[in-house]
Amino acid sequence: MINALFNQPGYLGAKRMLDATMVRHDAIATNIANAETPHYQRVDLAPSFRAELQSAIAGRDTNRLNSLRPQIAKDARALPVNRDGNTVNLERELVELSQNTLEGTIQSRIVTASLAKLRMAITGKS
Amino acid sequence: MISFIASLPSTTAALDAERTRLEVIAQNIANANTTHGLNGRPYHRQQVGFEAVLQRAQAEDGRGQSLAVPRAGRPQEDLRPGRAIYQPGHPDADENGMVELPNVNIYEEMADMIVASRTYEANVAVFKNSRSLAMQALSIGKG
Repeated sequence: MINALFNQPGYLGAKRMLDATMVRHDAIATNIANAETPHYQRVDLAPSFRAELQSAIAGRDTNRLNSLRPQIAKDARALPVNRDGNTVNLERELVELSQNTLEGTIQSRIVTASLAKLRMAITGKS
Repeated sequence: MISFIASLPSTTAALDAERTRLEVIAQNIANANTTHGLNGRPYHRQQVGFEAVLQRAQAEDGRGQSLAVPRAGRPQEDLRPGRAIYQPGHPDADENGMVELPNVNIYEEMADMIVASRTYEANVAVFKNSRSLAMQALSIGKG
């Protein structure tokens, strides 16, 4: 089956990480957009996702890698930074945003490199 | 419509809300000395509050949590009384020669203005990052 070509754990793991980066970008963007909204609680990637992804990659479990979906959840650990109960720290969010974009660059290069390897195997040309 | 970047409505709404806030601050500073406003009374400082609206379509997206979209509320009048000064020759002076000045505090407005423009800039940075992430996603498999 052609699907087997795209079912290597390394490639799937990079793909899932890229998915998580995109979802995390949405979470951070929403936090920055609501930096001035009273009572807003910051959101982030659900903390369980990272551990699940790590164990799935370590166990080379392609079925679990295929079914993993990153979720956004309220960040329960964040503390209010001012009196209106808003838990967004603008500086921290901006740092996380740049870091997340960089991670996205790395992950998309990994995905591209995996595809390039496949193409090389098919065509014999690099 | 495909939502390529799900958080784009939030970013746009935040830029819009911060602009509204900046416009109201500009109006307050411009009228810091208006003793005869539209209703015949001294100008009263206006203020904008933010509120969050949940983005409806996101809930079915399987992402667990819907994204909050900020919105600037209607400008509200600040009811604090203004400072009164003794100036008998002023056209708006009362029978005792006192003139009520607008309750605009220029330092407060400047501080608010800096917060609003910094938040605006932060959202512009978010937009640039969204764009570069989307461009990277488009170039997967190239090269």
